[in-house]
Amino acid sequence: MAEIAFHNVSKRYGEAIALSDASFTVNDNEFFCFFGPPLSGKSTILRLILGLETPDEGEILIGGKPVNQVSPAERNVAMVFQNLALFPHMSAADNIRFPLVERKVPTIQIERKLADVAAKLHIAHILHKAPAQLSGGERQRVAIARALVRDPAAYLMDDPISALDARLREETRVELKRIQRELGKTLIYVTHDQEEAMSVADRMAILEEGHIRQIGTPADIYDRPASSYVARLLGSPMMNILPSGLIADGAISIPGFGAKGDISEIGVRPEDIKVRPWSASDGGNPAKVFEVEPLGGYTVVTVDAGQTRIRALMRGQPDIRPETKVALACDTARVHYFSKAGAALPR
Amino acid sequence: MSAIHLQGLSKKFGDFTALKTMDLDIADGEFMALLGPSGCGKTTTMNMIAGMEEPTQGRILFGECDMAQVPMGRRGVGFVFQNYAIFTHMTVRQNLAYGPRMHGASRPEIDRRVGAIAELLQLTPLLDRKAERLSVNILQRVAIGRSAILEPAIFLLDEPLSNVDAAFRAVMRTELKHLQRQFRQTMVYVTHDQLEAMTMADRITVMDHGVLQQVGSPIEVYNNPANVFVARFIGSPGMNLLPGRPAESDRGMVIDLGPVGLTPLLPAKLAQRLRGHGGDVLFGFRPEQATIAHEGRGMKAPVTFVERIGARIIVHLGQSESAMKVVLDNDARVSLGASAIITPHMESARLFDRASGAAIGQGA
Amino acid sequence: MTMAVASENEMSAPAPKSSAPAQDERARLGFRLTLPAQILVLFISAFPLLMQAYISLTDWSPLSGTNWWNAWEMWNTFANYTDLAMDGRFWSALWRTLVVMLVCVPVEFLLGLALATLFADDFPGKKLFYSILLMPMMVVPAVAGYMFFMLFQSGGPVNDVLSGLLGFPVAIAWLSDPKLALAAVMIADIWQWTPLMFLILLAGLVGVPQDQIKAATLLGANAWQRFVTIVVPKMKTIIIIALAIRVIENFKIFDTLYIMTGGGPGVATETISVYIYKVTTQDLIWGYVAAIALAILVVLSVAAVLAMKRMAANREAAA
Repeated sequence: MAEIAFHNVSKRYGEAIALSDASFTVNDNEFFCFFGPPLSGKSTILRLILGLETPDEGEILIGGKPVNQVSPAERNVAMVFQNLALFPHMSAADNIRFPLVERKVPTIQIERKLADVAAKLHIAHILHKAPAQLSGGERQRVAIARALVRDPAAYLMDDPISALDARLREETRVELKRIQRELGKTLIYVTHDQEEAMSVADRMAILEEGHIRQIGTPADIYDRPASSYVARLLGSPMMNILPSGLIADGAISIPGFGAKGDISEIGVRPEDIKVRPWSASDGGNPAKVFEVEPLGGYTVVTVDAGQTRIRALMRGQPDIRPETKVALACDTARVHYFSKAGAALPR
Repeated sequence: MSAIHLQGLSKKFGDFTALKTMDLDIADGEFMALLGPSGCGKTTTMNMIAGMEEPTQGRILFGECDMAQVPMGRRGVGFVFQNYAIFTHMTVRQNLAYGPRMHGASRPEIDRRVGAIAELLQLTPLLDRKAERLSVNILQRVAIGRSAILEPAIFLLDEPLSNVDAAFRAVMRTELKHLQRQFRQTMVYVTHDQLEAMTMADRITVMDHGVLQQVGSPIEVYNNPANVFVARFIGSPGMNLLPGRPAESDRGMVIDLGPVGLTPLLPAKLAQRLRGHGGDVLFGFRPEQATIAHEGRGMKAPVTFVERIGARIIVHLGQSESAMKVVLDNDARVSLGASAIITPHMESARLFDRASGAAIGQGA
Repeated sequence: MTMAVASENEMSAPAPKSSAPAQDERARLGFRLTLPAQILVLFISAFPLLMQAYISLTDWSPLSGTNWWNAWEMWNTFANYTDLAMDGRFWSALWRTLVVMLVCVPVEFLLGLALATLFADDFPGKKLFYSILLMPMMVVPAVAGYMFFMLFQSGGPVNDVLSGLLGFPVAIAWLSDPKLALAAVMIADIWQWTPLMFLILLAGLVGVPQDQIKAATLLGANAWQRFVTIVVPKMKTIIIIALAIRVIENFKIFDTLYIMTGGGPGVATETISVYIYKVTTQDLIWGYVAAIALAILVVLSVAAVLAMKRMAANREAAA
């Protein structure tokens, strides 16, 4: 019903390419996330779906119907903006009623919808308050509620919770996901926070300079990134990407690593690197600990190995101190190989 | 000289108490983070140390010297503002040279010091650029360099990473900490981000609503939070806190968590302290310090949500008051909706008084 | 250390640009639609200028009995301009105008800046003082002229106050002493226009980022150093604007002055405006007046263009 598809869509602004030959299909009821650095084309996609921009090439379909020529008002998609854009002089309830009042929906229906959506979002108790009296999270839910009452085919959200503090974001993203599941609606979501993207998305698309580089489930993309670019974007700390020559130097030992033809770089996730104290029997060149950063449940150990700096993510609170000598190891099965162009190579 | 002592420090703005009586000793060469949510008084505390605001009561000492009569320009502290407060009408070089110039250093001396600090912070190629159009990452380094060039014994930083993009923040954290370990200035770092405080600081001062909650090393604060606020605020996710009542079982003491069931046996020491306490408690355990099984006996709750975030899986269990999270490695298998048996590591479990929120029997 | 690119709001960054032909088409349409208005504006601003230029090349005067468009009958080519070059009264009036400007504008600027610095901080009664301070600006210049005319009478309040202060009777004939009359006129101008300078400079001063001032303080700059290295550079544009406004206005000084002294005694306070006024209304040699006006306009325009170029260069450097 509310499937949204792009077929070879391109959009240019003068010389600048905002989106290049993008094709994807967002399934009905899917939580689909666009992720990429600023100016990678995320917001252009939203604007194209909303109808605020028309594609230079290609076709956009909503619910199977081409919408290139359909005006924004008739596309039946609702947008929750980054800055929420609640009307400060109206109560939460009036903010939510607003789109319906504008459309001259009968009062009884408005009240029924309001009660309905308030119950779904757990905001019935704050409906009488003005936006200024609400917390960031509550304002967020009111803004979502306002989008919900219109009963659109799909929702678009542009970094809707970026203004909240870290702890509240952790809570709210789970809440958003729950709401989406209960509503059973398509949700297209743009964020710049990789953790948020991985947390909420059923599937996600990774963008780079207007090109879609990979589409898949977050776990899929995290475990099998298509390129070193994608690999760097997901995960914190970032994947270690090292020149393959390093292994030959013995700075890192990867058992069974043979000189494969066109490997230019290898990538190892911080959590896949084991750090232990160096002993003379290890041979090779010991690495030196640069910094140790405790996160509580985990510890980030940054190590200088030869010319490069490698980060390892260890569970718990290991007893490793800065400036000490350590040996590094990792499981060959977990190493990623990249060609000179950055494309992932088979293991 | 560069130790900082706050004695009975408080600050009121009209009727609003920004800081209630605070006593804090920051050692020479220590990296101290002032951590708390917005409005907790951390920035006020820092501004008073810098001399930008006058304390309503109490004393600030640098080493043995009372700072009450010393104006901010004479305190010799380096200060990095949240928005960096770079002099946008000047070049990077002029920004860096500003401090020495104001102190009347000679031209060659200024050139030498600017050269050295620029080299250290990798700003050399940017020296003659106007400061206005630089990216935040560079502005931040200019801000640090501009203060560092005067080699202050005390360095104050006000949320310096909050404008930096996420990918660079991790790098900057490591760099900042390393710089501080090299130079050994006393560093006071204000942040609302527990991750920054945990990763960089020697010790953390946790604050809330103008009240000091706990002072300790990151590991101490994480492992032995003094109260419920600290327990929730530190860690990502924060500590699980489940309401319960102490109960005696045939083999020792447990906590009855109501719908969730009984905890495993409390370690002897904790049980002993609890016996003297009585009353309702909150049972706390870290999401990272628990395991999940599909079958068995113990704490039981349905899996309500599963977040796979890169290396970790955050499993959400239970509802409302008895909601909890468990963090597992990403190869764990968990299915949504199924009932799970949660086994916290009891050695790291903590108990809090439900009424006051204070920790019971701090430590092992 | 790696360098990541500063993040920007993606939505705002790539502004939609239409393709080149469409843009041309739009520009042409716009031109055609605004053409009538443009012609009107051109007419309004250009017509008097052209008329003036035309008359300045003749001996025409309203008494000459012909209409102005027939002034060519009295064509004298550049005679008015050569006369002007040798007109001692013109040159001394011009010189006097410059002296007034060179005294009044800097004094107004410094007083205004001092007051603005004072008012940038809070003090009790600030609002009241603020209103009082702005009052002179609201006074109609002609009224101000009468006020100062009264004040500076030899039996007037200024002399009374001086008598009280000095302890012996003072009867200075302010407005009839050639040297003092110019001073009196300048005092009136400073009284009336310092508030404007103050207002503009205060607006600039409160716009100076406080945290940069704090940062400078923490880096050891004293109040004067902060003022010179941070405040003044940040206010550069607004200072130039304030000075430009006052220079242009002061050059045209007339009404207050004319009421106080009528340009006298003799020609002691005769500025360019007073001179032109006298030549126009008393001597009625309009061809000559047109030549003077045009000459001054050219000089002022050149000065204004130079100032504007300088400002644009500053803004570019700042951006």
